[in-house]
Amino acid sequence: MRRDQDCNGIDHLLARREFLAGSAAGVMGANAIGLGTLTSPASAAALEQQQKRVLQIYLQGGVSQLESWDPKPGTQYGGPFQAIPTSVPGMHISELLPHTAKRMHLLSVVRSINSKIGDHRQGMLFMEKGRRAGEYPYVGSVASRYLAPENSDLPGYIHISKRGINDSTSAFLGARHAQLKLDGDKPPENLIAPSGIEDSADEAREKLRIQFNRRFTKQRSPALTDVYNSSYEAAAKLMKRKAIFEGKALAKDLDRFGQHDFGRHCLLARDLLENGATCVKVTHHGYDTHAENFNFHLEQLGEFDKTFSMLLDDLHDRGMLESTLVMVYSEMGRTPKINSKYGRDHWGTAWSMAMGGCGIQSGAIIGKTNLDGTKVAEREVDPGHLFHTYLSAVGLDSSADHDLSGRSIPIGDPAAEPISELLS
Amino acid sequence: MVSQSHLYPPAAFGTSVSHLRVLLFLGVVTSWVEFVRCSAGATEPLHKQIDAVLVAHSGSSGVVAKSTSDASFLRRIHLDLTGTVPNPTRTRDFLADPSPDKRVKMIDQLLESPQYARRMQVVFDVMLMERRASTHIKSEEWEDYLWEAFRNNKSWLQLTNEILTADGIDERTRPAARFMLDRELNVDDVTRDIGRIFLGRDLQCAQCHDHPAIDDYLQRHYYGIAAFIKRSYVFKDPETKKSSIGEKAEGDLEFTSVFTAESEKTSPRILDASPINDPTPGPELYKVKPEKNVRSVPVYSRRLQLAKSVTDPGNVSFRYSIANRMWAIMMGRGLVEPVDMWHATNPPTHPELLSLLADSLLQQDYDLKYLLRELALTDAYQRSSQREEKEFDGEPGNGADFSVAMMKPLSPEQLAWSMMQVTGVVDQQLNSLIAKQDKKEDDQTVVDAVWKEKSLNKALRGNVVIFTSVFGTQGVQQARFDASADQALFLRNGDLIQRWVALKDGLSDRLAAMDDSDVAQEYYVSVFARMPSTEEAKLIESLLVESKDRNADIRQLVWAGLASAEFRFNH
Repeated sequence: MRRDQDCNGIDHLLARREFLAGSAAGVMGANAIGLGTLTSPASAAALEQQQKRVLQIYLQGGVSQLESWDPKPGTQYGGPFQAIPTSVPGMHISELLPHTAKRMHLLSVVRSINSKIGDHRQGMLFMEKGRRAGEYPYVGSVASRYLAPENSDLPGYIHISKRGINDSTSAFLGARHAQLKLDGDKPPENLIAPSGIEDSADEAREKLRIQFNRRFTKQRSPALTDVYNSSYEAAAKLMKRKAIFEGKALAKDLDRFGQHDFGRHCLLARDLLENGATCVKVTHHGYDTHAENFNFHLEQLGEFDKTFSMLLDDLHDRGMLESTLVMVYSEMGRTPKINSKYGRDHWGTAWSMAMGGCGIQSGAIIGKTNLDGTKVAEREVDPGHLFHTYLSAVGLDSSADHDLSGRSIPIGDPAAEPISELLS
Repeated sequence: MVSQSHLYPPAAFGTSVSHLRVLLFLGVVTSWVEFVRCSAGATEPLHKQIDAVLVAHSGSSGVVAKSTSDASFLRRIHLDLTGTVPNPTRTRDFLADPSPDKRVKMIDQLLESPQYARRMQVVFDVMLMERRASTHIKSEEWEDYLWEAFRNNKSWLQLTNEILTADGIDERTRPAARFMLDRELNVDDVTRDIGRIFLGRDLQCAQCHDHPAIDDYLQRHYYGIAAFIKRSYVFKDPETKKSSIGEKAEGDLEFTSVFTAESEKTSPRILDASPINDPTPGPELYKVKPEKNVRSVPVYSRRLQLAKSVTDPGNVSFRYSIANRMWAIMMGRGLVEPVDMWHATNPPTHPELLSLLADSLLQQDYDLKYLLRELALTDAYQRSSQREEKEFDGEPGNGADFSVAMMKPLSPEQLAWSMMQVTGVVDQQLNSLIAKQDKKEDDQTVVDAVWKEKSLNKALRGNVVIFTSVFGTQGVQQARFDASADQALFLRNGDLIQRWVALKDGLSDRLAAMDDSDVAQEYYVSVFARMPSTEEAKLIESLLVESKDRNADIRQLVWAGLASAEFRFNH
């Protein structure tokens, strides 16, 4: 169990304790276990320093594995692009990712995903929930529930995206662990006190609200009122941190990351992680290339490659990579067969993703596809295995049950397990 | 055995035997004697029996909270039966009414109001559809269907029959097909939700293997239900674009455990009831044969066996599940909690009480209004949510003994309507609707309570939708209260609440026009539906005396009331 040593033993223990507490929730009070209950301030501080985080880069639409992590130049379906060597001896990736190639010693690649799903939504749900069907929380909500410190200034799961509906991501983990969806780098809705209410008036009305609550809670169980009150406290904290959302990115940062949405979104993601957010997901749209697959990938991955590399550098330079799991993933891959419009279609049979950082063995290649990329040849995995892997990497026991009273719901699919050789 | 026959109507005799078997199996009752004793005293009204069972359950040591005040009862019953808080006039009238049976009269009055139908429409919409998007059936048609059902007090038996049999062709029951259609007749979704909603069992984990942790959730239970619907599919008429349900005459269900790789076949069956085997097929399999753009109709429909099997009196889980859910709605916590997780290691906290409720419901032909009325009449429902000072130890507890009333968070709909009621949005909207109708010189409609309720609901629906998007969750509804930062931001800084708080001629303006000494009472009656204590009144008066900007301070006061915990919960 090497991961226990690397991914801080105390933290692992804490995770275990939370689960144990769950089974005795009636006695100990649900949710009572967290950083706040650790008696030694020294160990609490150490833990906070070691707070595990998750960065998700979601390439929406289904990035082509052949134009990214699993190139097959010169083969039947290989397409026009070459493979280039990377910073890991023997590992080649597509020439569309030159910056990323220089940083592959920080990442690993899984080339043998067979999800059997060629559908955007179902594929995305499988990747996020680690289950083919049913009501389960997304990776980000699980991270928020079990990794976020109780007193965090920022919500545990923040999703930066320009499109799409606000999904219910937290299932039975509740509203506090649902994603806070940001419309690009715009601040969350209702972050600013209403016009016409001065700071002093705002304070006065908050004081009144609290005064009312104190009176009401007398002789009553505080369980529910505490939860309600803490949502106002979380809102107030978020309001105080509004500067993060005010788009004051430095020019030199923007030059490095790129003067486009994805650049700005990744900068915001970096700032959020640095300021204590637990899981940040950035969605990069535009990989559903049924026509002109090659031109679109040239363009999209060009944007992704430089920006992602800068983000990775910053996390690395700031010493955050050891405690931050990085995932680069899609909801599916793309067909090896090239259609009449030079496109590649939906494909769940044999595709790839990359991950690195906290708890992940770096520079590894997991699994293999056959020569033409039409089938998984070695070490087939599905998103159920990947889900176990992410959570194990951040020190959670993915085979344990969720911390819920009255229900017994395993965190990861009991029929799957982590990719153990990928865990450091 | 003889002693059994008089306890149940003859038609249900067979059920009491299987019922007892279940109770014996679950270790709920240990003997015939106890079973008979539990069922005795049938001449007493149900609410008395309920309280008696609760007393017997807690034994002599049970300390219970005192009966709640009239004001708090009024707010509680209003929210539970009509979905909103009482207006100040009603609160004042009720407090002034000296008659000893005024609570009973209020319960009966509210149950007959059109707002009761609306409240139940929302409760059952959320229970059955769990805030899914509507795709095949318009949500308005579905809502109207439920509203009419509860206005006419349609029984749960009939409602279930319609929901599980409607095929979307017959216009009268077409909206009822939404349960299946808007789940796209996806076998897994429909199977799971029939288990959860109608039988109180979440068999999700038994889909791929026998449940790993729950011994009595088996894979064959899951596939037994799935077999009823496996042959049915969503048919979209190419001309009318209307969706309905088609069905094939063939297709068996085989399932394999991912753990043991063993395969089994199953015919349709509900839990451990006998499988329903298909009749020997005649020369024709179809009434309408499957063809392109044709809705196929088989001679023998497996799906049409579903309603009969679910509602069969031998299937006790049907009545236990609805009785438990009704209890949870009124009391804040199911006797089985979570309400869809009944199994041997999560049995009811009060098994004898749950069987009492379920059997009464069976005897009353699944009359939900009857059950809600009886629940509202119990001492348990009418207890205070506050413990006596001396016995309160600050221990949260889960309230499972019902010795003190539990706090229930307001649903998104209750919250929206209550805020609109308090701030004056409802009254203004109603007046403007009446004024418009007056011009059409239709005197009869404007006084009609049903017309008022329906018009108001239509006019203010948009606001309610905003609240459901902020406070509602899609999918399995969690009993546990939770609140997020973005919800608090919505209440704190959102435009909508600010507009209501500052509504012209609304509550804030009404209070601003009053003398300092009168404000407190009007404020408390309007916002909290109760009179202020001396101390509370003093606080408000001193706030106004010290105020530099009286109008603004009154608005902050109104906001603080709406944002308070006392407002957020039904207590």
